[in-house]
Amino acid sequence: MSAVKRSMVVERLRKDQMVELLSKEKRLDNRGLLDLRNIVIETGVIERASGSAKVQVGNTQVIAGVKIETGEPFPDTPDKGLLVVNAEVLPLASAYAEPGPPDEDAIELARVVDRGVRESKMIDLSKLILIPGRKVHAVFVDVNVLNVDGNLFDATSYATVASIATAKMPKLFVDQNGQIKRTEEIIPLPIKSIPVSVTLARIGDVLLVDPTSEEEAVMDARITLVFDEEDNVCAGQKGQPGTLNFDQVKLAANIAKVKAREVRKIILGGITKDAKG
Amino acid sequence: MSEVKRKYVTPGELIATGNYKPISNVIKVKDNFYAIKIGLAEISHEGIRVIPLSGPYIPKVDDLVIGKIVDYSAFSWEVDINSCFFAYLPAQSVFGRNFSPDRESLPERFSIGDLIYAKVVTYDRTRNPILSISGHGLGQIPKGEMVKIGPAKVPRLIGKKGSMIKTIESATNCRLIIGQNGIILIVGPPDGVLLATQAIRMVESEAHLASLVKDIQSLLSGSREV
Repeated sequence: MSAVKRSMVVERLRKDQMVELLSKEKRLDNRGLLDLRNIVIETGVIERASGSAKVQVGNTQVIAGVKIETGEPFPDTPDKGLLVVNAEVLPLASAYAEPGPPDEDAIELARVVDRGVRESKMIDLSKLILIPGRKVHAVFVDVNVLNVDGNLFDATSYATVASIATAKMPKLFVDQNGQIKRTEEIIPLPIKSIPVSVTLARIGDVLLVDPTSEEEAVMDARITLVFDEEDNVCAGQKGQPGTLNFDQVKLAANIAKVKAREVRKIILGGITKDAKG
Repeated sequence: MSEVKRKYVTPGELIATGNYKPISNVIKVKDNFYAIKIGLAEISHEGIRVIPLSGPYIPKVDDLVIGKIVDYSAFSWEVDINSCFFAYLPAQSVFGRNFSPDRESLPERFSIGDLIYAKVVTYDRTRNPILSISGHGLGQIPKGEMVKIGPAKVPRLIGKKGSMIKTIESATNCRLIIGQNGIILIVGPPDGVLLATQAIRMVESEAHLASLVKDIQSLLSGSREV
């Protein structure tokens, strides 16, 4: 085996077919350019985690688990709790994933998802302090990709958001001696908003949402935008060597804004189902 | 000809006891023969074999396969043949014995993403298979629609002496190129391609049923009337 990372090669015939269909605003899987695949969100799938969610976007499958512990805050943010998002693509998820520590794509995935959650102020980190500067709550989100069929950014983001939104922890308090004690009370995390990520791919001059892995193998450029409840863009990431001009970015933002509202309903549906169950 | 007994088995199931020869996908423990794959067990005078219902493509010498060029070096192309092995197509077998990497450039002949119809010339389990495109009808595939099915279903798609394939071809006016590795290319008019794809999908999902031939015929004739 060579040490060079393999990536998916799309057959030239298939690529030609895809480009021809795209010029007629159609896609290989019969979707329109702006149609999302079916999204299924299940929460509370891991019994022993503080919060968890499994998300399917078409054939892409992602599972996320939240663990809430106590830890020391970072020196530069003594007044904030910790949030750490980590993502891994399991070797069984794709023929192109290798065992071992997360590769650069998995690290990018974790960073982009983390940025969306952090910058949308989803968790009010200032409420996670136990002893200022010394002890805070630490929220660890671990995401495992179970099956790869494109658009890992969005699937991972939905799983992360759904697992954080349904996470529960025992209420802690600090006694007179400065010791941290736990109470019987179980509380949710301080959630302020629900961020929604939407990824678009540019193939030729065409922008399309929710790319499959075949489309990702052919795409020229990729843009991920994260929206909060008030349709503000709170995070973004541009990927691949291709460029996006100003009009394309504006168009992408407008499309993504509309799609984010659509997805938000699905995420909220998944979260509230857990609250009832 | 002696009688052939067939039955469906699951891994670990006892197929027969006695003095037989194990042919494929069976293990012998004392005088008992157990299946190691899910599939159809055949007991004949030759021995015992299990024809698997699913599984990856394991190359065999002289198999015709459809492969995708995924990489190339100075002396060979690397070909994805839908298997657990990557195959190699040596440049010498394409450009001739006098091939020199100074004179000929590999990507000019086949570039990454091209599909080729090729023959497996050497393979054993310790080394990756080597392909050749010298032979009638072999070489680059210029056009067509690609359909992937489980490699274990390919014999059923071909049928007895190619009967199934002939039925589909004549009903849809398409030509089918079948790779033993489960990749099929359909060339023909768009309506025919659609119908042939449906027929192939039906073969894949109903490969284990005895009613397959009838179902395929009704699918093909039914839409002919439409």
